[in-house]
Amino acid sequence: MTTAEAPRRTWWTRYTSQSPSLLTFFALVLGFLIGAIVIIATTPAVLDAWRHIFHSPTAIFSALKITWDNVSAAYRSLFVGSIGDPRSFVHSFTTGKGWDTTMTPISETLTYATPLVIASVGVGIAFQTGLFNIGANGQAILGGIVGVWAGSMLHMTSVIHLPLTLVAGVLGGIVGGLIPGILKAYAGAHEVIVTLMLNYIIAFFLLYVVLSTALQQPGQSNDISRTIDHSAILQPLFGTSSGLRVSYGIFVAAAVVIFAWWFLNRSTLGFDFRVTGANPFAARASGINPKAVIILVFVISGGLAGLAGEVQMASTNHYIDGGFLIGNAGIGFTAITVALLGRNRPGGIVWGSLLFAALGVGGRTMQAMTGIPLDLATVIQSIVVLFVATPVLVKEIFHLRTQAQGVQLATKGWGQ
Amino acid sequence: MRVELRGITKRFGSFTANDAIDLIVEPGQIHCLLGENGAGKSTLMNIVFGLMRADEGEILLDNQPVRFSNSGDAVRRGIGMVHQHFMLVPVFSVAENVVLGFEPTKSLGRLDRRRAHSEIRALSEKFGLEVDPEALVENLPVGLQQRVEILKALSHDAELLILDEPTAVLTPQEIDSLMDIMRSLADDGKSILFITHKLKEVRAVGDVITVIRQGKIIDSVPPTRSEGELASLMVGRDVNLKVTKEAVHAGDPVLELRDVVVRDDRGITVVKGVSLDVRSGEILAIAGVQGNGQTELVEAIAGLRRVESGTITLGGRDVTNRTPRQILDAGLGHVPEDRQRDGLVLSMSVEDNLVLNTSRRAPFARRGTRNLAAVTANAEELAQRFDVRTTSVKSPTGSLSGGNQQKVIVARELSRPLTCFIAAQPTRGLDVGSIEYVHRQIVEQRNGGLGVLIVSSELDEVLALGDRIAVLFDGGVMGVVEPTMSREEIGMLMAGVGPS
Amino acid sequence: MTDVAITSTSTRSDVVPHGRTRAIGVLMIIVGVFSAWAFGLGSVADAHSAFTFTPVNVSSAVPWSLGQLTVLTRPTNLVLALLMIGLGVEVYVRRPSAPLVRFSIVAALFLIALLFWACRTPGPAQVPFVNLTSVLIGSSAIAMVLIYGSLSGVMCERAGVVNIAIEGQFIAGAFFGSMIDSTTHSFLLAALVGALSGAALGWILAFLAIRYLSDQIIVGVVIVTMMSGLSSYLNLQILTPYPNLNVGNIASNIGVPLLDKIPIIGPTLFNESGFFYLMAVLVAAVSFALFKTRWGLRVRAVGEHPQAAESVGINVARTRYRNVVLGGTIAGVGGVAFMATQGQFQVGYTSGLGYVALAALIFGRWKPSGAVVASIIFGLSAYLVNALQSYNVPLSSEIIGMFPYIITIAVVAGLIGRVRPPAADGVPYRRD
Repeated sequence: MTTAEAPRRTWWTRYTSQSPSLLTFFALVLGFLIGAIVIIATTPAVLDAWRHIFHSPTAIFSALKITWDNVSAAYRSLFVGSIGDPRSFVHSFTTGKGWDTTMTPISETLTYATPLVIASVGVGIAFQTGLFNIGANGQAILGGIVGVWAGSMLHMTSVIHLPLTLVAGVLGGIVGGLIPGILKAYAGAHEVIVTLMLNYIIAFFLLYVVLSTALQQPGQSNDISRTIDHSAILQPLFGTSSGLRVSYGIFVAAAVVIFAWWFLNRSTLGFDFRVTGANPFAARASGINPKAVIILVFVISGGLAGLAGEVQMASTNHYIDGGFLIGNAGIGFTAITVALLGRNRPGGIVWGSLLFAALGVGGRTMQAMTGIPLDLATVIQSIVVLFVATPVLVKEIFHLRTQAQGVQLATKGWGQ
Repeated sequence: MRVELRGITKRFGSFTANDAIDLIVEPGQIHCLLGENGAGKSTLMNIVFGLMRADEGEILLDNQPVRFSNSGDAVRRGIGMVHQHFMLVPVFSVAENVVLGFEPTKSLGRLDRRRAHSEIRALSEKFGLEVDPEALVENLPVGLQQRVEILKALSHDAELLILDEPTAVLTPQEIDSLMDIMRSLADDGKSILFITHKLKEVRAVGDVITVIRQGKIIDSVPPTRSEGELASLMVGRDVNLKVTKEAVHAGDPVLELRDVVVRDDRGITVVKGVSLDVRSGEILAIAGVQGNGQTELVEAIAGLRRVESGTITLGGRDVTNRTPRQILDAGLGHVPEDRQRDGLVLSMSVEDNLVLNTSRRAPFARRGTRNLAAVTANAEELAQRFDVRTTSVKSPTGSLSGGNQQKVIVARELSRPLTCFIAAQPTRGLDVGSIEYVHRQIVEQRNGGLGVLIVSSELDEVLALGDRIAVLFDGGVMGVVEPTMSREEIGMLMAGVGPS
Repeated sequence: MTDVAITSTSTRSDVVPHGRTRAIGVLMIIVGVFSAWAFGLGSVADAHSAFTFTPVNVSSAVPWSLGQLTVLTRPTNLVLALLMIGLGVEVYVRRPSAPLVRFSIVAALFLIALLFWACRTPGPAQVPFVNLTSVLIGSSAIAMVLIYGSLSGVMCERAGVVNIAIEGQFIAGAFFGSMIDSTTHSFLLAALVGALSGAALGWILAFLAIRYLSDQIIVGVVIVTMMSGLSSYLNLQILTPYPNLNVGNIASNIGVPLLDKIPIIGPTLFNESGFFYLMAVLVAAVSFALFKTRWGLRVRAVGEHPQAAESVGINVARTRYRNVVLGGTIAGVGGVAFMATQGQFQVGYTSGLGYVALAALIFGRWKPSGAVVASIIFGLSAYLVNALQSYNVPLSSEIIGMFPYIITIAVVAGLIGRVRPPAADGVPYRRD
């Protein structure tokens, strides 16, 4: 390797040789293409049009047009619902009025992205250390439970109460992270199985808590908790009257991202984490205590997931019910896909969260405007992540000659 | 069977592993393929055995061109292979392993175990290789596992037997008996391709020796050539394995082992009460066939494996069962046996690897925050001093050649204050230039007054470097001898036969 | 070779015995003591419990009537608890090689004691008896689905591919099964299409994991996410506007002549839908094929040591493809079977059964027979979560619901016995 010529880096080689961003972009293109195919294949109007293409010579054009109209309407409403209507922007700019309405989609996207960023950073740190935390969802629920407990059962001034509930959320998540951490470190239990099982245990625990403990909303027999005090709420950035839900929680998320960047790139502990993730044997031989690292990773990852759950409580939900984060809609599961999309790096995770939040939020508008169910967003997300996790396939599809490396994958066989 | 290879070429990307190889093995011939690690021997054999496909060239068996789409085809055409890493399923029985891929069956595809067992008994008898067909392979010692591997290779009326580095795990006596087996098989008319990098073995058993270097056939010579000639053919220039060193000035012990007992991963006691001293200013070399407890002993010293009983003292401090970090801080330098597994993080940069175990210390970090400028400066300096060849210290370590990777580890370990320096298999798989460089570094450290412990399964290396030689057999020290002792006597010790 | 070879590594006699078996014993004793305290002493001295056996809703032509078994709650449960403690002590002292079997017995005894306690009179229960046959019929429906899922896992993981997408294959099978059955009124066709949909998902997993060496666990998780999104999407887009596509027929039972007349066992095992019998056939077939045939030996070789398999001419990639697609097929049928017992497709109604099946596979040590035992226990406890609600048990049904997940964690953590997965399970294999 003595005199290997350093590759010339022009803007073009940046996108053909080393950069994985291009692959992510192509994965997105493929995701939306397949999403379009799903729309076409399931929208009765489109199918009808194609059924009649032999009836008249121009029918094929009208079929194409109907197809285009449906797909573009869906994606346009996705855009409008998550970022905003360009006409509203123009209107607000020229008249100076109606900003609240114009900004609502962005506000919603940011609101949804806030806990997602936090949870995804947690999952990403675990991935970078070679551990797969499928349990982020359960940890987020625990964070939500403990956060709601601290927010509704304790009463004090906001200056103390709000930070206290946030810390309570972190602690809840840490408890959920410690179990797989300790079992992995001391009993060799595969974290994927343990966290997967814990998700269900915690879901039952949540039901138990909101049905059979003092946290249940007094006078209720449903699975609903007390509401947290006003003093423990992350207030909307622009006041309640604006109707914009984006809250001070985005500062919590920003702090988490900055912390994670420093932690992974500049801290000695983060260095140890990355060494452990890349080669656990070398980590051990160079004096890193693998057990401590595993437990710490789960403390940090679980703590962040718990914080995410609590931020969602404090900024939007204000109470927890038996259906909180249940099923694959939970932010803990979306966080896995976001972390993969963002290649486990804090910066990438911010973009990934914004994108998936936009898909989720825009999906609601799409459903309202075009009748296409918002679950299309989940389908597109999953397909994008499948392609991101399989960079070679994307390269083959687009005939790229890139050397971009894949995602750093965490898991090994069950036995390890 | 007469085997002929014509113009076999295999490329991996831009790297040519085999370059237009021509080779003929006559029936009843033991044909040795001699070459350094990485010369392309294993690739060639994988092609002959159908595990890989050549980009160019053809294989002729008894003058018939053949094409193998997988190794099953090769086996059906009478080729058997004994792999360097045994191709045995540990949780299967001997019989299941031997018949795998060619199972005798009854109706409904049921396995005919009885027939499998009787086939294996018959084979065992025919070749004099005794083994219990019902034993689970994972419960067999290495020597017997290899026996199973040979039986498996012979089980389909193999006419060509390929042995890929079969002696690495064997004692000298086991090697002798393996050679006897090879000779009797050749006398039966079977052709044998024997792959090795050990000069003595090819001269002892080979009919023809073909030397392969950097993917090319260099020459085919009779076994009457001297070891020196063969070695220079292998490496392309005259090599001098003799290391020049000054007379030893040994001081006080820096590393003391007392009755150390260690178990392996399976819980088997593999180090059975070892007591040794390494003194400052000397090189103590541990000789022994791989698998006699060396690996576990070194791991125990480095804190990577529990010491069941006994004590380890480093620079006068008891470090028994301390954590790896405590032992590193006490001044142990450790070049691990499996450098890519234990010594380096290949995906990370050279500069990060150069501070892998010092990243928390000043000047590389302050209060938990890394000082990246200091890390880079350190890397630039060490790369210069230890001749690590890389385009940039920010390149991933995996892009370096094996020799330069080893230099990274040596540089890292020698760049901090040490009490004792341990190097396990320090030159395994390195090119000759790097071997010389690493040896020189080790001797320099010893001249500078450091206590050095070398573990090597290469007897030549042990003899060249050691000021004293400890021979390990079955987890015990057979004796500590002077390097002037003859190879044969040391060989006896390595086989567990004590001095009479 | 000389005998030196054999002595050069130590004999196996000095292998450390791990103390984990003892931990199981202790755990069993704790369960027993808890049962004695909660279920035995937890009921008043003169309380009695009743089990009935005559199935309701099955067929009026049951030729037997067992009346009911009435026992004094406290002494009976104390005896059951003593049995548990006794088994625990035996495991602790003798350290048998198969403690999981004894653990399973203790788990079953625990559930029986719980049932006795739940239905005691005087007590809080509205229904003063437990219909044991109904309990068994109800839990056998869940167990059946779990067995399909864990058999799918056996097929994939024995060949070295982790199939965490079982849940997604269930969803696909249930969705398409309901559609096809609603339109054709044929569960046979529904099973075929469900099998195809499961196979297609299996193929995606295999394609990405084998050809592109993607991380199998990630791909599996994402496939589940995708299927739950897609099923919800299609449900709104297709099933809601056309309700006649989602009628939700329930497969009718077919009684095995004579055998279905056996008390208790008859209605449970021999008066079931075709899916149940197919499951039984599959268990036997997979067991036989995996451990008795050439095919099975090769599959296991691929899952344990793919290089060794390749070196004797076994096509590792093809074997894995085939098994993962077959596994997907089985899970797809499992989804249809679920739909055939639950009716109408609803979003999210498999509620993670695919992951429970994965747990049953691990608890069952990657063996079909073990998976069956685990599925029965898990099915029983899943059924009891719902059933116990009508007994006003102070013990929350949510706690029982955690049971399968907790013991799975205990198993993978080695707290209950040691499990050893196939050595190459989840490890991508690259030729060359």
